[in-house]
Amino acid sequence: MEKVLSVKGIEKSFKGTRVLTDITFDVHKGEIMAILGPNGAGKSTTIRNIMGIMYPDEGEVIFHGYDGKEIPRHRIGYLPEERGLYKNVKVMDILLYFAELKDYPKAKAKERALSYLKKFGLEGKENASVEELSKGMGQKVQFIGSIIHEPDLLILDEPFSGLDPVSQDVFKHEIRNIANEGTAILLSAHQMNLVEEMSDRLYMMHKGEKVIYGSMDEVKAEYANFKCTIYGRNSVHALETIPQVTRVEQSDMTSILYLEPDVEAGVWLKKLPETLDIQELTIDRISLHEIFIDVATGKSLAEKEGEVYA
Amino acid sequence: MRNSMKIAKWEFMRNIKSKSFLISLVLTPLIFIVFATAPTLLSNWSADGGGDTQVYLNDELGVYEGYGDQLRDEGVLEWDIEMTDASADEMQGQLEDEENAAYVAFNEETLENGTVTYVTGEDVGGDFQNDLRMFEQPIKQLQLDQAGLSDEQMSVVANPIQFEEMQLEEASGEGTASAEGTPAGFFEDPFEGGIPAIFAGVILFSIVLTGMMIFQSASQEKKEKVAEIILSSVTPNELMQGKIIGYFGLGLFQVGIWLTVAIPLAIWRLEDVPVLEYLLVPETLLLVVIAILGYLLFASLFVGLGATLEDASSSGNFQGMVLMLPFIPFILIGPILIDPNGIIAVVASYVPFTAPATLILRLAMLEEWPWMEIFISLAILIASIWIVMKLAGKIFKVGILIYGKNATPQEIIKWLRA
Repeated sequence: MEKVLSVKGIEKSFKGTRVLTDITFDVHKGEIMAILGPNGAGKSTTIRNIMGIMYPDEGEVIFHGYDGKEIPRHRIGYLPEERGLYKNVKVMDILLYFAELKDYPKAKAKERALSYLKKFGLEGKENASVEELSKGMGQKVQFIGSIIHEPDLLILDEPFSGLDPVSQDVFKHEIRNIANEGTAILLSAHQMNLVEEMSDRLYMMHKGEKVIYGSMDEVKAEYANFKCTIYGRNSVHALETIPQVTRVEQSDMTSILYLEPDVEAGVWLKKLPETLDIQELTIDRISLHEIFIDVATGKSLAEKEGEVYA
Repeated sequence: MRNSMKIAKWEFMRNIKSKSFLISLVLTPLIFIVFATAPTLLSNWSADGGGDTQVYLNDELGVYEGYGDQLRDEGVLEWDIEMTDASADEMQGQLEDEENAAYVAFNEETLENGTVTYVTGEDVGGDFQNDLRMFEQPIKQLQLDQAGLSDEQMSVVANPIQFEEMQLEEASGEGTASAEGTPAGFFEDPFEGGIPAIFAGVILFSIVLTGMMIFQSASQEKKEKVAEIILSSVTPNELMQGKIIGYFGLGLFQVGIWLTVAIPLAIWRLEDVPVLEYLLVPETLLLVVIAILGYLLFASLFVGLGATLEDASSSGNFQGMVLMLPFIPFILIGPILIDPNGIIAVVASYVPFTAPATLILRLAMLEEWPWMEIFISLAILIASIWIVMKLAGKIFKVGILIYGKNATPQEIIKWLRA
């Protein structure tokens, strides 16, 4: 696949504290690449370094297909995490201003703005003042502003924050559509379910470092192992001796057994010792959500399981 | 630069459409007019309050005749005169009943003792006594007539003593009439220097006002969190320059509107003064350049300052003090007017923040311009603008992206060092 953006080994420190360590990834044409991580992981800092709002101490950011050192700002769409709109202006005026800043033809911008406003259920709001909009409507206008100039690369920092589920769905579909039209999309998020549904590849980071990087399929194949939850009075030691168990988590009566990747559920169940106290038993797969929680709370599930490279 | 112009255009259009700008456009001159005319109006009003005073005059000497009528015709004396033969005692009762009435007697006693007896009723203002004093001169004249003085003696007595100052250079006979604080250096017609200066002053005042709008705008940019979106298309420096240019245009637009009203008004009111002739001189150009330099200095200062504040209403002492800088020259107006070449005026011309207003004020008063001082002052001003713009750029770059708090002076110093 054609690379649009390459981030190579960027490092950044604030006041002597390292906030980014050796961040390396690519974003390809027509794909959705997600940066995941808990609050403070360094997602926004990474994005701001790409956008040239900050400059990395080490490493480089490469925009493929553009000559010169300058960031090709006109070809990038950016929705920052901290975002807003001028209050006392008309919706259409501000959208045309954003397009003008990107040197996009006015007539085309107007056409696109109207069609997107319609798509997002804001038809007829083009002459409304920004201050009359609800927060959700404002977010939609900001989103339109970031894509009005048909960017080659779209960078969305927490696009779903503050949106209701209906709007989240609308955004999700639209982002997918834009990717299908060939735009490379880099987004950061912490809503695992959304990312799991829409992303092609992901880069999970924690405390400024890479934790997992790979395509969604690879990550799922690697991490979406079975886990068995048993409700009953059992000793951790007894559970750990069960074959193909990599790790046991226990709190009160509930024990979670993490299984090896190549386990066949039916076969494995038959191997359970008869001495176990089983009040309830469920067996299912680890979700991205759990990997994320593990990372965020500092448990080293992923590290134990090894890393996947794209 | 192209991006800066786009931002300038946006800032200009956005503000010109806003109601608050339009209101201030109309309101500022109105407030000026009110402040300029209100004191006179008020004092006239309080004086007119009582109407003319009813005066019963017992004039045995014939002082009032002719002289008094003339005063009344000129509107100086607001009296309704009714001649009477009654004495003061007889009038007492009548005056008690009548409001705003008085009795005055000019008689032999007046001539002999120099005393004028008068009785006032209720509601007669304190001005009445002043009005009476106008008759001092004719009474004195009568007294002197009676004393039998010759005309020559009379004129000596009647003339007041005059004090005349002789100028230094006239005394020494040397033509060293320099611009060193002598009246010779002033314009004979105050309008000649004054009109270009007022013109430049209006420009300076207006664009400093719009400069303060820059402060609001930068602070609002932070509050509305648009900065980062804009910065994905342009560099921080372009954004800053764009704002400075945009508000400059706004200031000029404001001045333009004011002047299109004020100049015809001035030509109409000041019939004897060739307003346009005085205005369209090369000196005006220099004064306008000074005003523009003043704007650039304050605009760059304020745009940097605004970027440190999320909420302008909660600005700390530090920011408040900086905002006061353009108003320092107002304190200096007094000393500069007294001596436009004095030490205060000269020093103020060399301090960047007071230089523009001080220069404009001084150049308005001096016919012979101290070119050396002007050049030094302009050099200092231009150098300071360059420095302040650099520093403001640094502050703006970091400050505009800090959300949720106002920057402290310590933080600002740290950004400057970065």
